Amino acid sequence: MKNISIYRPSTVDEAIQILSQHGSSASVYAGGTDLLIRLKNRLEQAPSYLVDIKKIDHLRYIKEDAQGGVEIGAATKLAELADSRLLQEKYPMLVEAILKISSPELRNASTLGGDLLQEVWCQYLRGGYSCWRNGGYICYGAIGDNSYYHSAMGGRLCYAVYPGDAATALIPFDARAKLATPEGVKELSIEQLVPGDMLVDGRIQSHVVRFNEILTSVIIPPPKPGVRASFEKLRPRGVWDFAMASLAIGLQLRGKTIDDSRVVFGGIAGRPLRETAVETFLKGKTLSAELGEQAVSVALANAAPLKYNATKIDMAKGLLASGLARLNA
Amino acid sequence: MQTIEAILLEPVGCLAESPSAPIYEDVVPVLAELKTMGIRLYIATSLSRADATSFVERHSLGEFFSGIWDSIGAALAGASLPPEKTMFLTDTAEGIKAARAAGVHPILMMNDPDEARRLAMHNPAGGIVSLHEMPDFIRLIAARNKTG
Repeated sequence: MKNISIYRPSTVDEAIQILSQHGSSASVYAGGTDLLIRLKNRLEQAPSYLVDIKKIDHLRYIKEDAQGGVEIGAATKLAELADSRLLQEKYPMLVEAILKISSPELRNASTLGGDLLQEVWCQYLRGGYSCWRNGGYICYGAIGDNSYYHSAMGGRLCYAVYPGDAATALIPFDARAKLATPEGVKELSIEQLVPGDMLVDGRIQSHVVRFNEILTSVIIPPPKPGVRASFEKLRPRGVWDFAMASLAIGLQLRGKTIDDSRVVFGGIAGRPLRETAVETFLKGKTLSAELGEQAVSVALANAAPLKYNATKIDMAKGLLASGLARLNA
Repeated sequence: MQTIEAILLEPVGCLAESPSAPIYEDVVPVLAELKTMGIRLYIATSLSRADATSFVERHSLGEFFSGIWDSIGAALAGASLPPEKTMFLTDTAEGIKAARAAGVHPILMMNDPDEARRLAMHNPAGGIVSLHEMPDFIRLIAARNKTG
């Protein structure tokens, strides 16, 4: 592991100052379950300076806001989200998704912010190959074994899938992320936060957070009346693993009629993939046993699987059918 | 890799599957974008110059290219290109070797994954799955040089 220096700021402003001073060679350190492994893997772009935000007040909380929504501090542990009675009452699908992230041990250390902004888990990157995200200029996943961790929906230089589950599960609730920046507070939708491979500060990353910005919280609007939601996940190992394909689906129902929906696939593209074609199809339809099969027929028309991962598309479509069936039950 | 100023392309394999095949659908928008970015584009081909000219004319690509040459060396000399700021896009081992010999950066066009995996052993400077990635490739090199 390379030599690193650790800062322990006590305020967000101080953390931003330190990050600004060191540029891309510094990184925010909270749970460390992704970051420390990147250091251990000796990745080219692993930081030399860690800015430990664990001692900063007001980054680790779950609280109801005045409108009946919930705000979650970015340094809140995933286990705390899973145990939250408030979240279980208001957004049970989010809790269901959090409980499918990694293992209980890791959820005790991992933070919501870390899950949202984690690096991809391509085996070539983590194995130290000189790929787009590791100082090189080629994607080994595109030409190698791409059966698990690579996009079946096309790519842009890097073909690794976005690995996080929390973002996929937050999008159906129209959640937003709050960032502290040198210019002040910035608010983005989760889709804007993790739009897939982006060139940011000379790096390819899945999110838009710049080197001197900190994700501080996630705000979930109040639950809408008549909403039913479900999270499904298929993974190579049932105990814990990243998604081969996942689905977060939310339906706003009036009786059995679907007034609105959110359909978001995870594990198949470089970002949580909101499938608007299915959302449009579902609008005005009656939730029924047959609806799943019909929805599948319009899903993922733009699929562009690599040599070994076409099965991800079949899995994603299967999850759509089973998710709708579950909501109809 | 230094910030890129020019790209040499082998038309067969990079712009179309064969001399008589239609060009890939992303060719025109990508060449237009590269030109807008100020990248000079040249054909450097193992085809005869007459065949390459015919290919370019048949697909109405003339406006994008500043010259057609029958070798990398001829293109570098004829267009006064700095090799260290020039890429050669190819899908063959011979192309990679020729680019290395001329001092330009060989970039592998990874059309077929199995073939590309074999060609990657020849140590290209980079590789793309599709031509549409080339503008981002150029931007990333520039950004890395800027941020150090």
